[in-house]
Amino acid sequence: MAKLVLKFESTVLKEVPVGGRPVMIGRAPDNDIPIDNLAVSNYHARVYTEAGRLVVEDLDSLNGTFVNDLRIERTTLRDGDSILIGKHHIVVDEAHEAAVPLDTGRKVSAPKVDETMVLDTRERRQMLQAALAAGERSQLAPSRLRVPTLAVLRGRTNQNEYVISSKLTVIGSSEMATIRLRGWFAPEVAAQINKRDDGYYLGRAEIIPKVNGQEILGPTRLNDGDLIEVLPGWLFGIGQVRLNFLFRD
Amino acid sequence: MGIEIGARTDVGRIRSNNEDSYRVVAPLNLFVLSDGMGGESHGEVASALAVEIVATHCREASNNVAAPFYGESKPLLSEKTNRLASAVHLANRKIREAAQEDPARRGMGATILAAWMDGPRLSLVHVGDSRAYLLRAGELEQLTSDHSLVAEQVRRGLLTPQQADASEMQSVLIRALGTDAEVEIDADEHVLVDGDIVLLCSDGLTRMVTDPEIASTLLTHSSAQAAADRMVELANEYGGEDNATVIVVRIHQESDGLFSYLRRWMRRSPAPTAEGKGK
Repeated sequence: MAKLVLKFESTVLKEVPVGGRPVMIGRAPDNDIPIDNLAVSNYHARVYTEAGRLVVEDLDSLNGTFVNDLRIERTTLRDGDSILIGKHHIVVDEAHEAAVPLDTGRKVSAPKVDETMVLDTRERRQMLQAALAAGERSQLAPSRLRVPTLAVLRGRTNQNEYVISSKLTVIGSSEMATIRLRGWFAPEVAAQINKRDDGYYLGRAEIIPKVNGQEILGPTRLNDGDLIEVLPGWLFGIGQVRLNFLFRD
Repeated sequence: MGIEIGARTDVGRIRSNNEDSYRVVAPLNLFVLSDGMGGESHGEVASALAVEIVATHCREASNNVAAPFYGESKPLLSEKTNRLASAVHLANRKIREAAQEDPARRGMGATILAAWMDGPRLSLVHVGDSRAYLLRAGELEQLTSDHSLVAEQVRRGLLTPQQADASEMQSVLIRALGTDAEVEIDADEHVLVDGDIVLLCSDGLTRMVTDPEIASTLLTHSSAQAAADRMVELANEYGGEDNATVIVVRIHQESDGLFSYLRRWMRRSPAPTAEGKGK
């Protein structure tokens, strides 16, 4: 499991593992990482896991949350990243991450209910109630109803802006693509965006797109303001296609 | 778009009857799989009904656009995806009716997983814990989320995936066909590209064989049928505790001339570094 290491100057003050539940950081004493400093808001920021990635989110703090010296609203974290809150640093340590069991060995045979069964509505409600109570805290606050859009920052496409209005949005030169790329060398199906219950996910098709400069490693949830590079282009950026994912009110 | 199909079902090493059913409707590029439940032979009845009804309804709809529609049509989804969901609503009703006709059949139910390809578009609907995977560029992605109690607990952060794999509650489903008058269906769409492999399977495979093994089996077998056979063999070698069914669909883009060839050639990234970044 990854951990967060709270430091003041070079002194380690506290180590907190981060896993299932968000780690709260702030001045109030009931935070997981309390920081007693007037520059720190009561509930300043939190760190949580999202689709296997650590994410830090600023909770509208007065003085802001900085990652590697850049002020952030929300960003994914990597091993060694330093979160600055007030004058305290919180360093991300994923080195202690338990090795992902990439066991090609056989699965552990589990003791189990012999026959497949389905819960009826009442049982299901009861069994999920407990889950709900514990899990609710880790859910993201529901945001206002806003319209997901893709704005074209660079590149030749059939429109300048698109509203994402279906389950599947295809980016490519193919006739079935919603975001139609023009140009001889544009791939037919470059990438896709899938709407899921918890957001919009960008996935590769013929190419591996980049989000905020990083090649995606699998379907990646898009956050408001993300920059998507669909095609890298050649010399002087010819053929480059860049999009901006935005929620519009 | 050319496709190559392999399919295989097996009773396993423990059970005496096979409650899984599947159907490949090649002319429609429609693939349906179901895992039945309920004592005696009722699971077999339920899963057979499920695949039969889904296949028939889709065939009717593809011949007749005005075929009756069940459930609610969603504007977010394509016509094909809506049609698949309609088929699953119908299957749910029919299985429930069959279960209510005969008191001995109480508790009869089934999972359903159906994939319908329309050119490069893949429509996918499911209820229960039968899974669809996509192998693309060497990476295996699970396209469906299980409607099981343990999977729900993982989603809510109460169990780790490892704990879920070892749980004795793995067989407890929170959604299935035939148990309620109305069923909530997960529907999704994907776009397929050259070289993709789509795998549909029942939990008899995924409880026995790990995702990395599934990926390597798909990658190392040149024919879809050989990969399907090998995966079922693996499930049996590891104990074969449940019926295992797999459908493997490999996508081959039909070459469409010089430009698509040139495009592919120009996009050849320095493959070792690009691929090496993955898991």
